[in-house]
Amino acid sequence: MIRVEGLSAALPQGQALRDVSLSVARGERLGLVGESGSGKSMLGLALMGMVPDAAQLSGRIALDGQDMTGATEAAWQPLRARKVAMIFQEPMTALDPLVRIGETVMEPLILHLKMRRRDARARALDLLAETGLTEPEAKMRQYPHQLSGGQRQRVLIALALACDPGVLIADEPTTALDAQIALRITDLLVRLSRDRGMALIFISHDLAAVARATERLAVMYGGDLVETGATAEVLANPRHPYTQGLIAARPRPDPAMIRKRLPVIPGTVPTLGDLPRGCRFAGRCAAELPRCAGTRPAPWPTASGQAACHLLEPAP
Amino acid sequence: MRHRASLILGAVLVGLMAAAGLVSLAWTPWPLAEIDVLNKLAAPSAAHPLGTDGLGRDLLSRLMAGAANSLSVAAGAVLLGGGIGTGLGLLASAWGGRVEEALMRLCDLSFAFPALLFAIMLAAAFGPSLLNTGLAIAFINVPIFARVARGAANQVWVRDFVLAGRAAGRGRAAISRDHIVPNIAAPLIVQATIEIATAILAEAALSYLGLGAQPPAASWGRMLAEAQTLLWVAPMQAVWPGLCITAAVLGFGLLGDGLRDWADPRLVRRQA
Amino acid sequence: MTRFLIRRAAGFVLTLLAVSVVVFAVMSMLPGDPALSILGIEASPEALAAMRSQLGLDAPAPARYAAWALGALKGDFGTSYAFRVPVGGLIAERLPLTLSLALGAMAVTLVLAPGLGMAAAARHGGPGDWAVMVLSQIGIAVPAFWMSILLILLFAVRLGWLPSGGFPGWDQPLAALRALVLPVIALALVQSAVLARVTRSAALEVMRLDFVRTARATGLPRRRILWRHVLPNALIPIVTIIGMQFAAIVTGTVVIESVFSLPGLGRLLLQSIANRDLITVQALVLLFAAIVVTANFLVDLAYVAIDPRLTGRQS
Repeated sequence: MIRVEGLSAALPQGQALRDVSLSVARGERLGLVGESGSGKSMLGLALMGMVPDAAQLSGRIALDGQDMTGATEAAWQPLRARKVAMIFQEPMTALDPLVRIGETVMEPLILHLKMRRRDARARALDLLAETGLTEPEAKMRQYPHQLSGGQRQRVLIALALACDPGVLIADEPTTALDAQIALRITDLLVRLSRDRGMALIFISHDLAAVARATERLAVMYGGDLVETGATAEVLANPRHPYTQGLIAARPRPDPAMIRKRLPVIPGTVPTLGDLPRGCRFAGRCAAELPRCAGTRPAPWPTASGQAACHLLEPAP
Repeated sequence: MRHRASLILGAVLVGLMAAAGLVSLAWTPWPLAEIDVLNKLAAPSAAHPLGTDGLGRDLLSRLMAGAANSLSVAAGAVLLGGGIGTGLGLLASAWGGRVEEALMRLCDLSFAFPALLFAIMLAAAFGPSLLNTGLAIAFINVPIFARVARGAANQVWVRDFVLAGRAAGRGRAAISRDHIVPNIAAPLIVQATIEIATAILAEAALSYLGLGAQPPAASWGRMLAEAQTLLWVAPMQAVWPGLCITAAVLGFGLLGDGLRDWADPRLVRRQA
Repeated sequence: MTRFLIRRAAGFVLTLLAVSVVVFAVMSMLPGDPALSILGIEASPEALAAMRSQLGLDAPAPARYAAWALGALKGDFGTSYAFRVPVGGLIAERLPLTLSLALGAMAVTLVLAPGLGMAAAARHGGPGDWAVMVLSQIGIAVPAFWMSILLILLFAVRLGWLPSGGFPGWDQPLAALRALVLPVIALALVQSAVLARVTRSAALEVMRLDFVRTARATGLPRRRILWRHVLPNALIPIVTIIGMQFAAIVTGTVVIESVFSLPGLGRLLLQSIANRDLITVQALVLLFAAIVVTANFLVDLAYVAIDPRLTGRQS
């Protein structure tokens, strides 16, 4: 469905993505995890052709077999919503406050699918109902400020589903929501992906949510894809030191942990401007080798995927 | 980058106009009132770089004197009205309650009167003269500055160092003088720069209508009114004074914009 | 919504009332004796007293205010000291011209400025944006009356296409329209500069908001995002400025009518001031202020029409 090869994104302040290769199959649910600044959102935007104007992209992006490398805004625009759709972190501000919910969801139906208003209205109602919005009929006539955050996120999902895209990119869709609502939205995304055979790219820093929602996992750090594999496998048996740190630093309701300090990854995420030349994790890594800072590690096969770390290099 | 540019361009224009006005107080190429009817509406020459007006007076000299009149009236009016307005705003902020409420309602009310209209009325009532024009413009500035000063001061009154001063038992007047004024100076200076631009426009309009500077005093607005009667004969007479007004207004406007961004970098993105 | 409207309407009426009091008070404090200016300095004291009583000037101030305000409500502004005819009639004769000027200039501004501002915002940082910004910066600094003179120079003196001033009367509609073209453009150009700038910065502000990203992600074409989503959300500051601009245009007519020798309310005001015809000045200032207050009230109503969040149906 989506194939990315050697994708790099250079911002004026540094490299946001470095040589990322990744593919997502039809109907597959992929989790994309990493801290803020790891490049996961930039990767999501790149798949929509929506990177900031200042970013210089190189590498290949193919969408449903169509090569989008270096495509212009005009070439991307008809693909958005129809092939690939995206929802964002902040549902409170992501809807036009002056447009009724119904009109918002009907807009792509009328514009892209050339539906007549009556058909679009019926379809919008179905979509809202499909996302589990209660009383969709009444909500159609309401404005965004009259809805709660969870309700708005459902509207945004309905909007993203309007033109039946092959891929849905969800960028931190639950971060701004209450834990309970977040769980429900996560489950909703999984159900929609299954029901519609729609690929889902679930971007999050919440490993629990990713474990719940996805089959495959990609871990990013400093613009690099550091490890990929089956979600369960990676979480149970992480191979890259960064993934190991990420999993260890996850807060858990474990009674034994309460008195101990939460293990943290030492240091802070470097800014784009001063990333190490070699492995991006060099400098914070507990198992660092002399060559790590200068030489970029190649991806080595793991049980269900790959990890880019010098430690995994087969002995010569 | 562009904000640096507006600051510099504004400062250059303002400096140029101010310099011309200052120099005119001591020296002009020709005596201001020297009438030479035999040489009226002369084309630009080495002796008269911009030519002469309908009475044969040197145009450049009169433009320079116009700068002195226009800038001094505008700056003086803004300083006077701004000073009074700032005082009222500080008072409103320091006392709060009914005083503040009443003063602010009065300000709201004054904005119902279009400024220029009010100036026309006042200038007419007290007789047409440059001084009265200045007073009228000063009057218009009072509520503007009262509002800006009160808004800025209210933000300072809740800051820690002011609360500390109040806890230490210092009076409202002392706190206003020592802590509030220095902290609201920046927005007031920015506002004053921008209001001077507006005041120059108002003075020019009033003088054009014959309510401001009286002959033989040189004023850009007055010169335009005189030039309008000669449009068919000497079109350039109507170009120079207008250019001077535009340059001065542009200068103060750019300077104000530049100063605002310089004083408050957070605003740069909003203004961009 | 009803509460917001009632509050605003009450504020509107109160402001008008306060404005009338202020106008009356200022005019009463002004130096000059209307009786003296009507009868001349040779008049006998008895004649002056008789004239004052005839004008109702011997009553106490509150009574005079009440009489004037009640009359004004009915459209009776008293009798002009200078012209010896009802002030209401003087105003009614000249109102159409001034209103045509003001509304014409506002209409031209609304046609020119928002499009320019949106175009500049859409090309943020590009040469088109830069051109609009530089032109509008200069436009703001140009006095409207100088703009008028320059327009006269070009279109009347040089090209001879349009009259340089004067007004033939409404019974010659074509000539009347020709006489209004330059004054309307002069007023509109300066205000367009202001409005284009405001539109641009308001639009840029909105373009950074999250829902614009959502609209892009929904595959909406750029033009549709700009006009259907960005512009409506930018309207609140734009409408606020439009209200202020209408006030500026109305005031501007005073000067512009003078430049083009147009017999409108502005000319009447200047004449009345010159004649010390205080009762006419009083009526005119009240009228101008009322127009400004009304414009602001209409802006408040526009807010309600634009933004559903103001209608208070949150629950």
